[in-house]
Amino acid sequence: MENKAEEVKTNQPIKSPSGFNIIWREIVRDKLALLSLAFLILIIAFVYGIALFLDQKEIVKVDLFSIYEPPGEEFLLGTDYGGRDVFGQLIIGTRNSLTIALLVTLLTGIIGVAYGVISGYFGGHIDNIMMRILDFFMILPFTMIVIAFVAIVPKYNTITFSLIMTAFLWMGIARLIRSKALQEKELDYIQASKTLGSSNFKIIFTQLLPNCSSLIIVTMTLNLAANIGLESGLSFLGFGFPESTPSLGTLLSYARNPQVLEYRWWIWVPASLMILLLMLSVNNIGQALKRAGDARQRRG
Amino acid sequence: MSYLEVNDLKVHFPIKGGVFGRTVGHIKAVDGVSFSLEKGKTYGLVGESGSGKTTTGRAIIGLNNITSGKVMFDGKEITNMRRAKSDARKNIQMIFQDPYSSLNPKKRVVDIVSEPLRNFENLTRKEERKRVQELLELVGLSPESILKYPHEFSGGQRQRIGIARAIALKPKLIIADEPVSALDVSVQAQVLNFMKEIQKELDLTYLFISHDLGVIKHMCDEIGIMYKGRYVEEGTAEDIFNDPQHIYTKRLVAAIPDIDPNKREEKRKFREEVKVEYDQSYNDYFDEEGLAYKLQPVSDTHLVALPEKG
Amino acid sequence: MWKFTLRRTLIMIPQLIVLSILIFVLAQLMPGDALSGQVGPDVDPKRLDEIREQMGWNDPWHEQYGRWVGGILQGDFGDSYRFKIPVSELIGQRIVNSFWLSVATLILSYLIAIPLGITSGRYNDSWRDQLITGYSYIGFATPLFIFALVMLWLFGFTLQWFPTSGSVTPGLEPGTFEYVMSKLYHLLLPALSTALITTYGTIQYLRNEIVDTKQKDFIITARAKGASESRVYNRHILRNSLLPIAAFFGFEITNLIGGSIFIENIFGYPGMGQLLVESITLRDYTVLTATTLLFGVASILGALLSDIILSIVDPRIRIK
Repeated sequence: MENKAEEVKTNQPIKSPSGFNIIWREIVRDKLALLSLAFLILIIAFVYGIALFLDQKEIVKVDLFSIYEPPGEEFLLGTDYGGRDVFGQLIIGTRNSLTIALLVTLLTGIIGVAYGVISGYFGGHIDNIMMRILDFFMILPFTMIVIAFVAIVPKYNTITFSLIMTAFLWMGIARLIRSKALQEKELDYIQASKTLGSSNFKIIFTQLLPNCSSLIIVTMTLNLAANIGLESGLSFLGFGFPESTPSLGTLLSYARNPQVLEYRWWIWVPASLMILLLMLSVNNIGQALKRAGDARQRRG
Repeated sequence: MSYLEVNDLKVHFPIKGGVFGRTVGHIKAVDGVSFSLEKGKTYGLVGESGSGKTTTGRAIIGLNNITSGKVMFDGKEITNMRRAKSDARKNIQMIFQDPYSSLNPKKRVVDIVSEPLRNFENLTRKEERKRVQELLELVGLSPESILKYPHEFSGGQRQRIGIARAIALKPKLIIADEPVSALDVSVQAQVLNFMKEIQKELDLTYLFISHDLGVIKHMCDEIGIMYKGRYVEEGTAEDIFNDPQHIYTKRLVAAIPDIDPNKREEKRKFREEVKVEYDQSYNDYFDEEGLAYKLQPVSDTHLVALPEKG
Repeated sequence: MWKFTLRRTLIMIPQLIVLSILIFVLAQLMPGDALSGQVGPDVDPKRLDEIREQMGWNDPWHEQYGRWVGGILQGDFGDSYRFKIPVSELIGQRIVNSFWLSVATLILSYLIAIPLGITSGRYNDSWRDQLITGYSYIGFATPLFIFALVMLWLFGFTLQWFPTSGSVTPGLEPGTFEYVMSKLYHLLLPALSTALITTYGTIQYLRNEIVDTKQKDFIITARAKGASESRVYNRHILRNSLLPIAAFFGFEITNLIGGSIFIENIFGYPGMGQLLVESITLRDYTVLTATTLLFGVASILGALLSDIILSIVDPRIRIK
């Protein structure tokens, strides 16, 4: 037959590289993304590692004898208005910020993908109603609504904070996945699955989702960067983490005091740089992933 | 008792409009189509794009909702079959037009071909792999390529993978929706002949949908010609090609190219004559809306859409 | 055209209703009621209950909701717990301040985005394009509040080019030229900070739009007919590429609303965003409810505006 000639005659089946291999190759080829990935892994390992040996209670304890110490021997990055070690707060803050950003990204990802897939795959009236609800959430001014909720929630802690953020952040990914699902379900491979006796549930999980996977990964990576910014912004305004659990935004919020902003740079500049570097490197990785998903833009 | 029987099938799609998005009308994609198909035979459904032939095929297998009418298969009604796993699902399979979009690009060949097996048969991993290799061999692909992705194959090879998937459950009826129109002409004949081979081998019945009368002539025993959702003529291949009665069929048959270059001028003249006749007698063959009339028998096997006498 | 506008406006009605219910439920969940601020601790609790009954605070929720919405439609947001004056009075001046800040920000961001976008698109893949693309990538990855802090620190405190808080120098007579100039002066730094960092979307959109349009057949035809380069750009490409930017207008408003809360708090600018944060710190819940509601309504109107502009610019949207 026509193909026999070009096939290598072996008894072992020939295995082609899978999608993940391609993604990995793309990141390795992109020096900036590789650097970002290395930086991110280093920071994560460092922050989560060191935080094991640091006592959060010890760090946030007020020490009136060492208020506003500039960086020096004893305090690597100085102290804040309560005499608390800024370096320690930076480590713990980075850990807390990353943890909540990851948690919110994961939760919004799960909700958004489920919502988008159901809406797009089933279409019709279900899609219509679901999109109306989504449009409404989309329109709400995120910061204001979250602040209002944070202000009235009685038992306020990290969990409720991430749930409130999740409640108003799932729409972006849901909308993307929905339009992808709308496109894909018209393709013959989905139709073929129906004629082959696969249930809708099975089609969604084994046919549709694998084809959305690169979109999901890219969107969630970019969302992670955005969520780091959103969390620190809310903490900056005083509606994120409580002061007893410092985040990067908490350190920045000290800069709302003009004295700190003008004269005590060591309190807010390191945290700002950390946020910027984290967001930039996660974004760089996201862009590289985006290129990997789009064969036309691949570099290799 | 025929094998597949379609009775007055109608598939209408709503048109939404107005301020509130209400249904303001219907597109009658398929508007009262009836035909029957004998076991082991090939039935051809012909028409231009938009004539409703593909919708008819998809409605039979349950991909489009049937507005009204009845579909009987092997003596059982299968109109609007909803359940994923039924005997009818197993026994009726489909070959799709586009070999590029009909295979999931993220799946390896072994997963694509074994999808129906996983749904209907409990096989171990090993048995499954063996079956897939057998199927690939049957459609003329190397069994070593089971771990490749679809994009590593040519169009003709991909269509063979689609066929392997369709015959995996040993179905009785296969609906082939323009199976070769996306392929290069040089590959078309290969795939068509191969389909004929497996028809004999597996005792298959085909519902063959195409716009290409040449392909239909090569494949089919019986033929139905569709125009704007309705039948204009139905008959054996003999009836349609040697004795077309409806002016629309005449024009289609006249348009089949001839390979003999000496006859080219003759052909062209003939085509022009038919075109003149078509323009002159259009109103005799179609009603005020430009739709075909009801079918009237002209012989035992031959039906033509003509206005009722008198 | 009018059909789409009508349909889109009708969709807004349920949105407004759901928003008002959401805010109403939020308000009900908030601790305390208007009395908690108005009476001293020595008042007999029985008397309080009587007043509550009189005011109808024990009625079923839908009656209370009806009264609440009715009041708002007449501009009555209730009284501030803290300042004992009607909320509408408290909001009045703040809304005007926020409005002018938004206008200034919009003007500045278009002044930045349009020339940069055009340069980037016209000379795509040149060093200028790469520089502008790099700038918008940084803008995309930098949170507004960090950038605003740096701007305040640099231009406000270190260089002392701009005032660091307030919306006007105290002691000036409203209506005088100095007063208006002082207002503008106070607006400039917050508006510029927002404009510089949020304009990346418009720049990139304009760039891609121009790069796409450049390769269209009608541009090639215009060139083939011998039109000069400047004529091709001014008459053909820009006319087609700038229109979609108009559609961004509504989204810009939504973005501005989200950003205003940071900007006003960092620059100590007395607008709605600052009021919202203050009302929470002071536990002034009627003010919190009113500001959240107004922000929500403004966002809904912004979305309506951009959809309508979009439908004028791009006829394909109307079919939906």
